[in-house]
Amino acid sequence: MTLITGPLWSGKRDFACRLLGCTRAELAGRAVWDVQELAAACATQAQLEALAGSLAAYEAVILTEEGGGVVPADPAERAAREAAGRLACLLAARAGCVVRVFCGLPLVLKGECDL
Amino acid sequence: MFTLVIGGAASGKSEYAEGLLLARPGPRYYLATMEPLDAPAYRERIARHRALRAGKGFVTIERPVGLAGLRLPAAGDVLLEDLGNLAANELYSPAGAGPAGALEAVVQGVLRLRAACRALVVVSNEVFTGGRDYAPGTEEYLRLLAKAHRALAAEADAVCEVACGLPVYYKGEMP
Repeated sequence: MTLITGPLWSGKRDFACRLLGCTRAELAGRAVWDVQELAAACATQAQLEALAGSLAAYEAVILTEEGGGVVPADPAERAAREAAGRLACLLAARAGCVVRVFCGLPLVLKGECDL
Repeated sequence: MFTLVIGGAASGKSEYAEGLLLARPGPRYYLATMEPLDAPAYRERIARHRALRAGKGFVTIERPVGLAGLRLPAAGDVLLEDLGNLAANELYSPAGAGPAGALEAVVQGVLRLRAACRALVVVSNEVFTGGRDYAPGTEEYLRLLAKAHRALAAEADAVCEVACGLPVYYKGEMP
């Protein structure tokens, strides 16, 4: 599995299409995106790990970085953001390759990617 | 040479960007895109950046919108600061291109400038890692800036992100 992360609207899905050699329409069968939004439903570390394990079955997992702003005052938003960051770390540990896409440009953080 | 320098607030991106042009013969132009509003916060900011540039030989040109129509006094090197302001001005300012034309005004404006100068360094803002819990108008602005970043990164010779004054290159080589 390749983990593709990066800021909002940085071109992550376009990069996934390039990596997998598929169209945007075909991407849904091979990759999953916005997985940062799935983390909030996990109440425990075990649930986060189970989520990371099931996501790892995809060829590419796309996660938007959202931990860069001010810590949210709202407890639920704060917890969701924390969970999203921890999920990213768990996914990176399971990934053979981790790529950060920035302004449409990939930077390999882990492993080797056939770009 | 066209370099895109992106960084968070107070990341050292301006000083790094200035440094990219100092070894070149010049003339050096500083293209300031901030609308010069008469408010203390703006005056302080402008004064801080002027002090940073003092003695580095930059001629300041103020140009909040309409980059495509700009004529440089002479061929030289340009530091444009910053793309985030330019995008906001094109989107929101009465003199700007408005929602329908802002992306083209920003991207084509920068590319026209790139063709007219020897070296161009464009400074912009990393504002895309703090979630998307914004008002709808803010999201429109962020999408515009993200599109401009991707379009210009594709055209640039070098693209880097600055953290703590240190660049990470995503494209091209560190000079």
